[in-house]
Amino acid sequence: MSSAPVLQITGLNGGYSLNRPVLHDVSLQVQPGEMVGLIGLNGAGKSTTMKHILGLMSPHKGEITVQGRTRDSDPGRYHSALSFVPESPLLYEEMTVREHIEFTARAYGVDRKDYESRSSHLASLFHMEDKMDSLSGHLSKGMKQKVMIMCAFVARPALYVIDEPFLGLDPLGIRSLLDFMLELKKGGSSILLSSHILSTIENYCDRFIVLHRGQVIAQGTLQEMTSAAGRQGLSLEQLFYELVQGGK
Amino acid sequence: MDLKELYRERRGRFMGSLLPYVGYIIQSGVAMVFLFVLIAFSAWYTALLGNPPAGIPIRWIMFALLVPAAVHSSFRTYLQSPDTIFLLPQGHRMKEYFQPAWVNGVVWKVLRLAFVLITLWPLYIRTEEAPKLLSATAMLLLGVKLLSSYGFWREQTFVSGSASRAFSLLRWAAGGLIISAWLWQPAGKGLIFIGLLTAAYVAALSVPPRHAVPWEKLIATEKNQGARALMILGWFVDVPGREQRVYPRRILAGWGGGISWRPETAYRYLLTKSFARGDIFGIVMRMGILSLLLNWWNRSSLMGSAIYLFFLFVIGIQLSALRKLHNESFWLTVYPLPEGTRGSNTVDFVFRMLLISAVITGLPFLAAAGERPLPAAGTILSGVLMAYLFKNYLSRKAARLEDEDL
Repeated sequence: MSSAPVLQITGLNGGYSLNRPVLHDVSLQVQPGEMVGLIGLNGAGKSTTMKHILGLMSPHKGEITVQGRTRDSDPGRYHSALSFVPESPLLYEEMTVREHIEFTARAYGVDRKDYESRSSHLASLFHMEDKMDSLSGHLSKGMKQKVMIMCAFVARPALYVIDEPFLGLDPLGIRSLLDFMLELKKGGSSILLSSHILSTIENYCDRFIVLHRGQVIAQGTLQEMTSAAGRQGLSLEQLFYELVQGGK
Repeated sequence: MDLKELYRERRGRFMGSLLPYVGYIIQSGVAMVFLFVLIAFSAWYTALLGNPPAGIPIRWIMFALLVPAAVHSSFRTYLQSPDTIFLLPQGHRMKEYFQPAWVNGVVWKVLRLAFVLITLWPLYIRTEEAPKLLSATAMLLLGVKLLSSYGFWREQTFVSGSASRAFSLLRWAAGGLIISAWLWQPAGKGLIFIGLLTAAYVAALSVPPRHAVPWEKLIATEKNQGARALMILGWFVDVPGREQRVYPRRILAGWGGGISWRPETAYRYLLTKSFARGDIFGIVMRMGILSLLLNWWNRSSLMGSAIYLFFLFVIGIQLSALRKLHNESFWLTVYPLPEGTRGSNTVDFVFRMLLISAVITGLPFLAAAGERPLPAAGTILSGVLMAYLFKNYLSRKAARLEDEDL
């Protein structure tokens, strides 16, 4: 893999309040063509880390770069290099599914022909062809989540930040999403994925980062982490349980 | 649980949230303009009463102003989404909660109706050949108001959405027929018709299946009502972004598709879609149609020019609310929209819409251009100038907002 990371976080301290930081000296990186699982208990700091990457929160200390740029140095190119799938769907009720995807494509400067081919491919992949002209307010929660995923994937940036994408998705949707993420990865895209469904992501992610109480307590491949813990052969779920129980 | 007290508490909290804005409303220029228009209208109306024009269609004027005031109904329930969990066990007692909502909804609208009637009455008795008694007319209108409020409440409880829509049309038709029967027919004959129609309408209301408490519908309606209150407040002061009611309007689905395919105009695409399916479009359309009619009627007088500019100003105020529409949108922070394009796209969009409104609502003056070419051209040019003034005002606001963001 290339040595220049797509996402680099160095010594990040952050949170909602300066007096009570949620993240403590978080450092991590995601390489091109790599899928990294960000795992942790509720309140461990996964979503806060993602908010800092998206530029929704400012670091108290430390630096975040996407393709070598900080948000302050070049906000346009920083944001063009990443797309995000939130945990809960956030849609414009006045727009249809197709219009959401079109708006995203326009904002990211995707070529119109590419938009058309990607959009129809995604609609077919996520079984949304007959919902493309429905207003978002008329969709089920799972379908709304699919729209979020389709919007993120139509842009084709270098980095995908994906927060709990499986919530509300049906089994077919989960399979389509995982297959498509593998396809993107093969194409050189990087993915930072947060999920509680450890048994699923164990087989798909190249590396894992375990966050606990705002700190990175372990990171690496499953093999590296089990070796470091002296617990070879454990599944991701068993290792995670031991790591966070030990950190109590 | 004291449900009446809960309603009062929620109402108090909502009213309290509006209080901080009162001072700004008083100070705002828009409030001054409305006050000026009110004074100008009073002067014009007093002059009109002194010398009412012959052949004025007074019954139609009464009909056009009294029907909306008497039939339009709404209630603020202040219900919230968590109520479907926490208030659900109180479902059998919710009448206690809704009672003050119903009373508040009716009382304020009766006062509004009384104001319209009292304002119109002097013109009516001066121009109508066989005027009805004021007390009898007031009683009849009160009856229509109560009937409409009851009908509206029933519509909210219907299980079927299409039944609700059909009965909403029926309510307006029944209200319109009752008022027209009173205005056009002799009192005795009119009252027989009104009695029969009322009985038939009330009987019809009991037919469709109903929910005991239509939670989801009431919560959605309340959300819209709250948003509308904030929108009205937004005419005067900057209020936090609000969600707007969405109408499918399939006929406008293609609008925005032709916008140039560049990140610089991506926000205009979103704005166009939001406008096409939002409530501001409906308000602007209604204002535009009313303005066209009044302009046509007054196309040969200076009063016509004043009405034209007034409506254009109000349309401009409505369109200006678009700049607050996506103030708190998450995606506009995350998506790589080029800097400054949000403000510039909004200003361009509002300017275009206002310019189109200025030209379309100014068309009646062209019909009078043969007799008085200069005033007609001057009126339309003033409208175009107003569109430019709005553009300048919004550009300054957008620039100030960007400075604050930096």
